[in-house]
Amino acid sequence: MGNVTQSKRQLAWVFDLNKCIGCQTCSVACKVLWPGEDPGTESMWWMTVNTQPGRGMPRDWETMGGGYYADGRPKLGRRPTDNEIGGGWEFNHDEVQSGGRGRDAHLHAISGNPSWGMNWDEDEGGGQYPNSYYFYLPRLCAHCTRPACVEACPHDAIFKREDDGLVLINETLCRGDGSCIEACPYKKIDFNALRGVSQKCIGCFPRIDLGVAPACVRQCPGRAAFVGFLDDENSAVHKLVRRWNVALPLHPEFGVEPNVYYVPPLAPSPLRADGSVDETGERIPPAYLESLFGPAVHGALATLKAELDKRPRGEASQLLDTLILYHWKDALGHLDRDPAEIIWSREPDKGDLR
Amino acid sequence: MSRPQDAARDTSSNLTSDAWADTYRDKWKWDKVTWGTHCVDCYPANCPYRVFVRDGRVVREEQAATFTTVEPGVPDMNPTGCQKGAAWSRMLNGKDRVKYPLRRAGERGEGRWKRVSWDEATTEIADAMLDAMEESGPRSILRPGTTEGGIQTIALANNIFLRLGATVSDVLAEVSDIAPGLFITFGRYGSCSSHDDWFHSELTLIWANNPTQSNISTVHYLTEARYNGGETITIAPDYSPSAIHSNQFVPVRIGSDAALALSMCRVLIDENLVDEAFVREQTDLGLLVRTDTSRFLRQCDVSEGGSDEIFHLFDTRTGRITEAPRTLDLAGLEPALEGTYRATLKDGSAVEVVPAFVRLRRRLEAYAPEDASVICGVHPEHIRQLARKVARKRTRIITGWTTGKSYHGDLMERSMCLVIALTGNWGKKGCGIRGIGAGMFDGPYLQSMKPQAGQQVTEFMFLAEEERIREALAKDPTLTREILMAQSSSEGGLTLGASSPFFFWYNQCGYREVFNNPSHNDPLMKRPFDDYVKEALEKGWWKGQEHPTVEHPHRVFFNIGGNPLRMQRGGQRMLLEHLWPTLHMIVTLDFRLSTTALYSDFVLPVAQHHEKTNFDYSVHDMMNLVLADKAVEPQGESLSEYQVTLLIARKLSQRAVARGMLEVKKDDGQIVRLDTFYEDLTLNGALAEDDAILDEAVRDSAVMGTLPPGTTLASLRETGWVRFTGLGAAVTSLAEASDVRPDETFAPFRWQTEKKEPFPTLTRRAQFYIDHEWFLEAGEELPMHKEAPALGGNHPLVVTSGHPRAGVNGMHSTDRTMMATGRGKPVAHINDGDAAARGIENGQDIRIFNDDAAMVIQARVTPTARPGQVVLYSGFEPYLFPEWKDFANLETGMVKWLHLAGGYGHLRYRPLLWQPVPIDRGVHVEVEKAC
Repeated sequence: MGNVTQSKRQLAWVFDLNKCIGCQTCSVACKVLWPGEDPGTESMWWMTVNTQPGRGMPRDWETMGGGYYADGRPKLGRRPTDNEIGGGWEFNHDEVQSGGRGRDAHLHAISGNPSWGMNWDEDEGGGQYPNSYYFYLPRLCAHCTRPACVEACPHDAIFKREDDGLVLINETLCRGDGSCIEACPYKKIDFNALRGVSQKCIGCFPRIDLGVAPACVRQCPGRAAFVGFLDDENSAVHKLVRRWNVALPLHPEFGVEPNVYYVPPLAPSPLRADGSVDETGERIPPAYLESLFGPAVHGALATLKAELDKRPRGEASQLLDTLILYHWKDALGHLDRDPAEIIWSREPDKGDLR
Repeated sequence: MSRPQDAARDTSSNLTSDAWADTYRDKWKWDKVTWGTHCVDCYPANCPYRVFVRDGRVVREEQAATFTTVEPGVPDMNPTGCQKGAAWSRMLNGKDRVKYPLRRAGERGEGRWKRVSWDEATTEIADAMLDAMEESGPRSILRPGTTEGGIQTIALANNIFLRLGATVSDVLAEVSDIAPGLFITFGRYGSCSSHDDWFHSELTLIWANNPTQSNISTVHYLTEARYNGGETITIAPDYSPSAIHSNQFVPVRIGSDAALALSMCRVLIDENLVDEAFVREQTDLGLLVRTDTSRFLRQCDVSEGGSDEIFHLFDTRTGRITEAPRTLDLAGLEPALEGTYRATLKDGSAVEVVPAFVRLRRRLEAYAPEDASVICGVHPEHIRQLARKVARKRTRIITGWTTGKSYHGDLMERSMCLVIALTGNWGKKGCGIRGIGAGMFDGPYLQSMKPQAGQQVTEFMFLAEEERIREALAKDPTLTREILMAQSSSEGGLTLGASSPFFFWYNQCGYREVFNNPSHNDPLMKRPFDDYVKEALEKGWWKGQEHPTVEHPHRVFFNIGGNPLRMQRGGQRMLLEHLWPTLHMIVTLDFRLSTTALYSDFVLPVAQHHEKTNFDYSVHDMMNLVLADKAVEPQGESLSEYQVTLLIARKLSQRAVARGMLEVKKDDGQIVRLDTFYEDLTLNGALAEDDAILDEAVRDSAVMGTLPPGTTLASLRETGWVRFTGLGAAVTSLAEASDVRPDETFAPFRWQTEKKEPFPTLTRRAQFYIDHEWFLEAGEELPMHKEAPALGGNHPLVVTSGHPRAGVNGMHSTDRTMMATGRGKPVAHINDGDAAARGIENGQDIRIFNDDAAMVIQARVTPTARPGQVVLYSGFEPYLFPEWKDFANLETGMVKWLHLAGGYGHLRYRPLLWQPVPIDRGVHVEVEKAC
């Protein structure tokens, strides 16, 4: 079983759920850049955004186990099935467009699971109209401080980078036995059946190594994503997680100390049975939020609301300034380099880009 | 610029220097970067991207995110983009990509193709065009206005048709993106702020709109305005993705928005919350209305030979009835809003007159919150709270194009406008009501009018036009440039397309029967639909627009940047049954095989985004011209739209000479030479290349003052984008009526509030009282709530629609990556209670049907849909559905008769502005489990 080398510094992500619009740009940016649609990666999405409450992706992942018990013992987990992951659809374009069948053929998936996918339960939510409720939850590998996958790997194929704490799978060493997938409580490790290896979010290390923010953060049009070193006092991530305590880990009880944090969601005031507005009521049940983000969620929301109350009174709020993000680059911490500045040179004899 | 070696490389674990890690590093490398954007009708679009190319192929694109701060204290616009943009490079190699000219080898729609050469294709097409022109002139060639494909399609590909005198139909009518209520009120609907101005709002009402899905790139300004202390309230039937980030959700019954707005107005008046000075200055509510005729008291009523466009007010300072100024400058007058007065007519008799505000107050008596609540389902106290908030706060209404696509959408919009009028909420930052802003990039539209290339001729034309305007303004200083341009656009000036498609639908597409069906019309209508058509024609209100006729239908149909068989309200069934059999040649230019392409005789392959130089149409939402550069060569034999039309033009000349048909006569009597047609079109070859004509367009815009001096295609290849510096000459742009300032967000209508310039309406004010005889007959002289006819028949559920999250107008609905972010197929959202009552479970196929048609789609069962509502986002390719039966077939495609009104101030045909457009919202259906 692998041992976790603790990193010197830890890179962390923050997603502001009050700004996340569920647009899937982060998911798609990641998909296009990394797993793509190579053989074996068709249904692979390292970054996903799901509607909460919902069953998520893999379907019902929160019930699959993994991580640690409160006393530190590893908690048995299971691998999601292909059907629980779903997706990977291929379509019959040729049959419809040049098959000569006219209206007898319509475009539909001819492979993959027809009853689940990476965003199957989009916008379904919970509650009862008009007090229905939902919000979007972006998820990627949490590059945990206590990564269960690392400890579970019998081949020492997973490691935590010393300089930034990224958790990476050495795909050369990986034997594809899937112990990491069982151990990961977030079910954020995929299995490439064709290559026989586990694959997951690589933290965009090729970008990070050149000072460029991860694609999921840099391409977020909702300006809901932040990245940076947790100990960098100038980073938005530090301010939100450490100074203001408004950004919280998902399912802290999983025991892996994840490094993806969330500013919990506010919601419109609910309506009373007679249709009048209940400005003191909660649309999203606080117990539901606590089940996701732990008891700290109440304090985080209270801080947020207190700061929001300041603004109409004309008072300043450093927290809200950070979340407003007047200058977009402030979301990127030290990773604010424009990738278009990079020029790769081609080796004359090999044709490789360096 | 720096090399990767300069940056710190992997100093951590040596494990990341393994081969597996290099595989990933290698994926993120390129050998060329260009600027790009996606020229689609994703209003507002214009997101600057970097396009990464490797070995001659686009590997991916990423938002450039190079915007600088415009106004200090307002968040910058970075990184505008979305998931469609992030995956566009995938669509270049999509499975539905067309790479070679295709000729139909089976029946239309059958899906059998023969690859042909460009020469074969253009020869047959040119001959069909000549045949059609021989039969009934160039008008018989129809190029319907479309929105996809940016300047290449909207401007460059139109040049051939405009020069030939073919029919180019009004693009906004074709897509029903017209805001009739805003137009009735303001004489324009260019009330579009730049989206960064959203940050300034203290209260944002998201009303009949879902910007979280339709404005992914900029909706952050709403969440940020909320953090800035603002309040956001979503008014919608469903708990929409935009509602979730709001402070309040106001669940309104479908189609009852006018009742809610009018009730808010009633509260404003009852509680003395009206901004009276604003109302007096900016609106017609201080103008006097005769109680005997319900018409305004006009100059011609009181003096012989007087004008019928000069109105009166009662000046409380002098206690006299006075002529109202023709601008908003009241010059010390204080129009009474209350009271009853007596006016002496020219025959010496006296009539009773009241300010229009008095009429309005009486109209609002029906909308006490308790009464309106019964109509709209919003709690009376909630209505009162909303009204008080609007009165207290700098308020913006963000509405979209749902109201304009609703039967009584004009009444909804007029009612919303009234809310902001009574509270003084336009003409300053952070407020107003959103409309369409388009224009500024004028250069491309100039090219079909220029006698020769170069900026000297542009300057000459520009100065001549300026001189004409100066003279006209000197003659009548109460006029504005916008009013002058609007008048000349009615006569066919600088416009995107000059022909209303109403009579095309009516005469050639089978809609006459649809429009005349009494159950499709307002039950309160006094006469049959055709009575109004007849009257409108007799009075000459649609002079020049009455084509095609039944006797002379269109024969050749060019589908460029569109997909009419998907988009047509009333559905493909109308077009395939009525239009298709009358067409001798159907040509589609596209990069993918749409449903319309499958029903075409020829499909001509066009270069995709990143394979040609292009710009999107420019909008005030973004205020930037963004370059879509050619990053790679087009695949297969595809060509840009402009180059395809030039091939056709060249062949047209050749075939015309061969057939001895050397010229053709346009409708206006002008002769078009066909033997030199190509040379004339390209100004003797000077503008035959994409880059040449686009550079010309950019340089011309700089001459005309909408771009900084010295802007060229080459300078844009350096900077990627440039912010506009002026509104330009287009009516839709001048309608914004504000200076473009380099260091401020753009807020429209400041020329009204700051310079007191008039609105381009009959009364020169924001006009809430419309005394057109038809409006009086309909009882719609003032805003009111009316129940819409039950389009689709008497069925219990009502469909609402809107922009899907993962697609732009259908083109992404067959893209694998975008389909993967949903269920891989279209879905309809239905309320959980409605589903349970019908035994429908989440994920099951359901049959949606009404009197017009039926379709099968998967159900998404959710408590976010309102009971009685079906949410069905638009923009799905019909061939995604069994038997290709999509929702458009259930839509009826009705128009509201009043929009044929003319002969009244601003209510006359104006391209892009005033005309009847089909309705697709509020369709009645029933739903059952599919077999």
